[in-house]
Amino acid sequence: MSVKHVLTTCPYCGCGCNFYLQVVDNRLVGVVPCKTDEIGQGRLCIKGYNAYAFVQNPDRLTHPMVRDGHQLRKATWDEALDRIVSEIKKIVSKHGPDSVVVFASARCTNEENYLMQKFARAAIGTNNVDHCARLCHASTVAGLVYSFGSGAMTNSIPEFENADCILVTGSNTLETHPLIGARIVKALYSGAKVIVVDPRETPLSRLAQLSLHQKPGTDIAWIHGIANVIISEDLVDKEFVATKTKHFEELKKVVAEYTPEKVEKLTGIPKEKLMEVARVYAKSKKSMIAYAMGITQHSNGTAIVKSLANLSMLTGHIGKESTGVNPLRGQNNVQGACDAGSLPNFYPGYQLVANGDMKAKFEKAWGQTLSDKPGLTITEAIEKAATGEIKAVITFGENMMISDPDITHVEKALSNLEFFAVADIFPTETSKFAHVVLPAACYAEKDGTFTNTDRKVRRVRKAVDGPGEALPDWEIVCELGRRYGAQGFDFNSVSDIMDEFASVAPAYGGISFDRLEKEMLTWPCPSKDHAGTRILHVGGFKIGKGQFAPVSHEPPAEEPSEDYPMILTTGRNLFQYHTGTMTRRTPKLERESPEPYVEIHKADAKPLGVEDGDRVRISSRRGSITLAARVTDRITEGVIFVPFHYAEAAANMLTNPVLDPIAKIPELKVCAARVEKA
Amino acid sequence: MNELGKKLCDIAFDKQKADYLLAMREESGNVAPVFISKGEDIGEANIDYPYQLVTILSRIYPWLNKGKIAIVARRCDEKALNETIKRGLFDGNRIAVIGLACSKEQIKKCRCNDPVPTKVDIGEPNNGVNTDELMNKLQRISPEERMDFWVRQFKKCNKCFACTTNCPVCFCEDCVLEERTFVAEKGIPPGLSFHMIRTFHLADKCIECGECERSCPVDIPLLTLRKMALKDIKDLYNFKPGDRETASPMLTTLEGELLEDDTHVC
Repeated sequence: MSVKHVLTTCPYCGCGCNFYLQVVDNRLVGVVPCKTDEIGQGRLCIKGYNAYAFVQNPDRLTHPMVRDGHQLRKATWDEALDRIVSEIKKIVSKHGPDSVVVFASARCTNEENYLMQKFARAAIGTNNVDHCARLCHASTVAGLVYSFGSGAMTNSIPEFENADCILVTGSNTLETHPLIGARIVKALYSGAKVIVVDPRETPLSRLAQLSLHQKPGTDIAWIHGIANVIISEDLVDKEFVATKTKHFEELKKVVAEYTPEKVEKLTGIPKEKLMEVARVYAKSKKSMIAYAMGITQHSNGTAIVKSLANLSMLTGHIGKESTGVNPLRGQNNVQGACDAGSLPNFYPGYQLVANGDMKAKFEKAWGQTLSDKPGLTITEAIEKAATGEIKAVITFGENMMISDPDITHVEKALSNLEFFAVADIFPTETSKFAHVVLPAACYAEKDGTFTNTDRKVRRVRKAVDGPGEALPDWEIVCELGRRYGAQGFDFNSVSDIMDEFASVAPAYGGISFDRLEKEMLTWPCPSKDHAGTRILHVGGFKIGKGQFAPVSHEPPAEEPSEDYPMILTTGRNLFQYHTGTMTRRTPKLERESPEPYVEIHKADAKPLGVEDGDRVRISSRRGSITLAARVTDRITEGVIFVPFHYAEAAANMLTNPVLDPIAKIPELKVCAARVEKA
Repeated sequence: MNELGKKLCDIAFDKQKADYLLAMREESGNVAPVFISKGEDIGEANIDYPYQLVTILSRIYPWLNKGKIAIVARRCDEKALNETIKRGLFDGNRIAVIGLACSKEQIKKCRCNDPVPTKVDIGEPNNGVNTDELMNKLQRISPEERMDFWVRQFKKCNKCFACTTNCPVCFCEDCVLEERTFVAEKGIPPGLSFHMIRTFHLADKCIECGECERSCPVDIPLLTLRKMALKDIKDLYNFKPGDRETASPMLTTLEGELLEDDTHVC
C-alpha cells in the first residue's frame, strides 16, 4: 500500500498554480491545491481540480505505431525510432536539412524543448524548429523586444492585487487565466479601477467599472486614441519619457491623428468613455496592462503590442511594482518553450541565430557546425509543406488539425508530406496523418520544469508511471539524437539537461534543480547567488532606452462583405482547453461545456430567424461548420464568437491564415463569415 | 524527523496502535499533506497550514481495505469525521484522532467558537470567539440589502467547485450542482441556485471548518453564509451538526421521532 502526495505544476494555462496529485498505488485519485504556493495560494480553477482525470484514460497511446500502407500497426520502440531516423536521413541527404521541420511543444517541459531544438539544430542541421507560441504570443515576443528589449510579462501575478488600475484587453481573464482573473477581481472589490476592452462581454467585463466594446480589428485605433488623450490633456510622465525613452516626437505626430472623434468612428467606442479610460489609466498611481490573444492574433499583432507598450512608457507605468505590460501566456509552458529556444530565429535564451557570435557560442557548446539561416515558423512550414518544399515533419504534442488556421489547407499540407512523425499522449486528429506515432508520458508521469507566464520556473514531478510503453519526450529525443549519430544526447536526468540549458542561456544561468527544491526562482536569474527578478526594467531598460512605436491602424485582412457580412472571432472558454484532447476526456469539464456553439447577438439572430439553441451553419471563404446558436446580448452586433475546442465543428475550418509580417502569427481573431439556419 | 514528527508518530503508532498516519510536513519549500505507514519516516512535520485532511482522507479511504488510520484533527475535523462515520462512509473503528488545538490566529480567522478537540494531543487550548462581524452586520440590515450583498459576492463566482471539492461533508455521489435542471451549465457566474442549494444542503452538516472560504479564489465569505444557515437550524430545530449519534432533524418524522436506520442516509 503506497499513498503519495506529489507536488507539481498544473498542465493547463500559464498561471502555473502548484498542486498535489494524490496517488494510491500508482492510481491518481485527486488533486489538493498547495496552500503555501505563492501563485495559487491554495486555490485552483475547475480545470486544475480535474487535472488528474484524463491522465489514466483508456484512450491513451500505449505503444509505438508505424504505418504500413494505409494502416498504423503496433511496433517496437526500436522499429519506430529507427524508422524516423532513417526516413529523416534519407530526406536530408536528398533535399538538405532545411527540408525537415521539428514542431516542439508549449505543453512539454523546458528540458524537453531544449532537447527538441538541439535535435533540430545540432543533429539534423536546420533552424526549422517552432511551436504553438507562433499561434498565440509570437507578436508579443517581437513587439515587446522592440519596445523594451524583453518579450516577457514585465511584472508578476501577485502584483495584480495591489494595482490601482488594471486595463485588460483581448483577455477573457476569469475564464482563460482563472487565478489571475481572481486577483484582478480582488483588486476590483478592494477599490481598484478595472477597465476591460473587448468585443464581447466577459465575466470580468461584467464586473468592471468600465467596459468598452471595440469592433474587432480596430485595436491600434483605440490604443492610439488613449495615447492621444494622454498627450493632449498633458498626462504624460515627462521625466520618464525624457530620460528613459526615444522616438516620442514620432509617436506624438502619429497619434495626433487619432482624435477621440475619429476613434469613435473607427472602433465604435464612445469618445467620452475613451477619454475616461485614458484619464483613469494615466492618473492612477499604479496602473497595469494585461492582454492576451485578442491583441496578438491579428495580421498586425506585433504593431498592436507595440502600441500598448507606448501607453506604459507615456505614463511611466513600467519598471515599478504593480505596473507594466503583462501578456498572459496561454499554455503551461509557452513561456519556457520560447526561453528554451524552440523558435526558428533564436537559440536558447533569445540569442539570435543570425548573429555570428551567438552561432559560434552554440557551435562550441554543442561541438557541431550550425546553420546561420533562421528557420521557418509553424505557419510558414505548413505553407511550404503544401507546396512540397518541406518534406518531413516531426511533431511533439501539437494538434494542428484543430489549432491551426484554415484546417482544410493544413490537411492538404500534412497529406503532402513524404514523412510525418507524431509524439503525443492521445491519438489526435493530427496523428491520423502520421507515418510513425510515438506514445508520450504526460505531465504527471515525468520530471522537469515549466516556466509560467510571470517567468517563474516551476517543478513538474513524476507521480505515476506512464501507460504501457509510453516514454517522456526528453527520453524520446535523447534516443532520436543518439540514433541519429549526434553527440550531446546522453542525458540520464532532466536535472542534467537543465544544467546544460542554464550554461548557455544567461537568463537561466543561476537556475538548477537543487535550488528549485528550496526556493521559487523567476528569470532573469543569471547566477547561482542571484535571487531572480520579479519586476523587469526597474530603473530603466537594459537596451538603453525604451522605443515608442509610431505604428498605424490598418483594417484587418478580411472585412465584412455582402456574402460574408459578419465578423467571426474565436477563443477558449473556462471549461475546455485548446483542442480538447485532455478536457473532453474529463467528465466534469465536458459536462459543463459539452458541445460546440456560436455566440450571436439577438439583433443579428432575429432577421435570420435563429433562436437560442437552433442549429446554424457558419461559412467563411475557407469552409463551413454546423453548430448550436447561443443567442445573447453579450457580444457586439455584427460579431460572432466560436470557441475553437471542438473537432466536430472546428472554428479553424473558417479562420484566415493571413500572417502578421513580422511575427508570422495568423489572424485568428478576425475573419468575414456568414450565418444561416441549418 | 523533527520533534513534532516524533510526537505524532508516537501517538499514532505506539499509543493509538494505528497502521497509518495522515498529517502534514515540510517538503520542497512547501507544506504538504503526508500519509505514511507505520515505520516510515514522517520527516519535518508541520501543523501551521490548515489542510482539510478529512477531505484528503476521503479520496484515499476507498482504496484502503484494512488498517487503522490516525489523522491529525482539529475540533472541526473531529466533527467532520463524526458526520462521515455517522453516515457509514468511514468505519469509526478504523479512525484514530490526534487532537490538534488551534492557534489564536487560526481561531480568529475562522471566527470559531468551538476550537478545542475532545482530547488535546498537540498545541495549547485557546478560547473560542463568539462573533462573526460580517454576520452581525448582515443581520442588522434589511433582507433586500442582505440579498444585494450576496448577489454582489456571487457575481464573482468562477464555478471552480472548490467549495464542494474541498468540503469534508459534501457526501453526495451525484452532486445536484452538476445537474442542469438545478444549475444551468452555460457559462459563469452560475445563478443564485448554485449557492443557495449548497447553503441549504449543508445546513445540517456543516462543521464550520472554513475550507470553502479559504479555497475560494475570489474570497466569497462562504463561512459566514454557512454560519448564518447553521444559526437558523439551531434556532428552528435546536440542532448543531458534528456529533456521531444525533441524526439531522431533516431526517426525522413530523412528530419529531427518528426514523429506523435513517442515520445512514444523507
